[in-house]
Amino acid sequence: MLRRTVLGALASLAALAADSSFSAARARTPAPPNAEAYIIWPPDGAVITGGKLWVRMGLRNMGVCPKGVDLPNVGHHHLLVDTDLPPLDQEIPSDRNHLHYGAGETDARLELPPGKHTLQLLMGDYNHVPHDPPVYSKKITIIVK
Amino acid sequence: MNKRSADALALPRSLLVAATLATAFAAPHALAGTTPAPANAYAYIGFPNDGQTVPAGKPFRVWFGLRFMGVAPRGVKFPNTGHHHLLIDVDLPPMDQEIPSDRNHLHYGAGETETMIELPPGKHTLQLLMGDDKHIPHNPPVYSRKITIYVK
Repeated sequence: MLRRTVLGALASLAALAADSSFSAARARTPAPPNAEAYIIWPPDGAVITGGKLWVRMGLRNMGVCPKGVDLPNVGHHHLLVDTDLPPLDQEIPSDRNHLHYGAGETDARLELPPGKHTLQLLMGDYNHVPHDPPVYSKKITIIVK
Repeated sequence: MNKRSADALALPRSLLVAATLATAFAAPHALAGTTPAPANAYAYIGFPNDGQTVPAGKPFRVWFGLRFMGVAPRGVKFPNTGHHHLLIDVDLPPMDQEIPSDRNHLHYGAGETETMIELPPGKHTLQLLMGDDKHIPHNPPVYSRKITIYVK
């Protein structure tokens, strides 16, 4: 009897999971609903000469914490360069377009080739998975000359 | 009693006074905590600017800048990190002790990288000082330039 109930519960859970758009998700870390990431500098539309710049990563109503540390209302910055937001229920990729600041950095040194580039911030939890709700900035465009 | 203070006691009185004064003045810079910080790490106030006037009667935002080092909440031991402390209208505290927690020494132990504060009209100073997992400055200590702002 008990076994049947457990099996039934598992089956409904599986059905739920299959239904949900977050079927592949692990449990996501909650973020304060008013948390906000934003790029302090450079401003949207900035023209950067030489391509070397410091990006100042801003965060409101939430704190910065290195990777691997599971505390409430914290996360670490990821800077998305020339790419759209990745799937928000999975670990943020780590490559040239998805820069991780897992040591709690709040200023990021970048070197970009000449041309038009986009920058966007996305917070990740201790496992590099975006929060629920996800905390990300507006995507800005800069021009490197 | 250790050897150093025994030696000091043996010195003539004037020298002792001079030595005490020198120690007192040197203390905030000569001493540091035990948590290492990168030699090139520095903190800076991104906003307001030095000499800036901000309107009275409403809170203004202070941006905490940090380079070559990361932010971690209090209690978290992670290499090359610390948390921000905002010093208002006060000089740097002793660098080998826990940073005081009062109206002049605001702690941001949840890993905050900015804050809103409201100050009475007049001239004020702001300075950032990083603290380690136990609120003690690093070695070398990481602090910003002290800036002056006017609330009008």
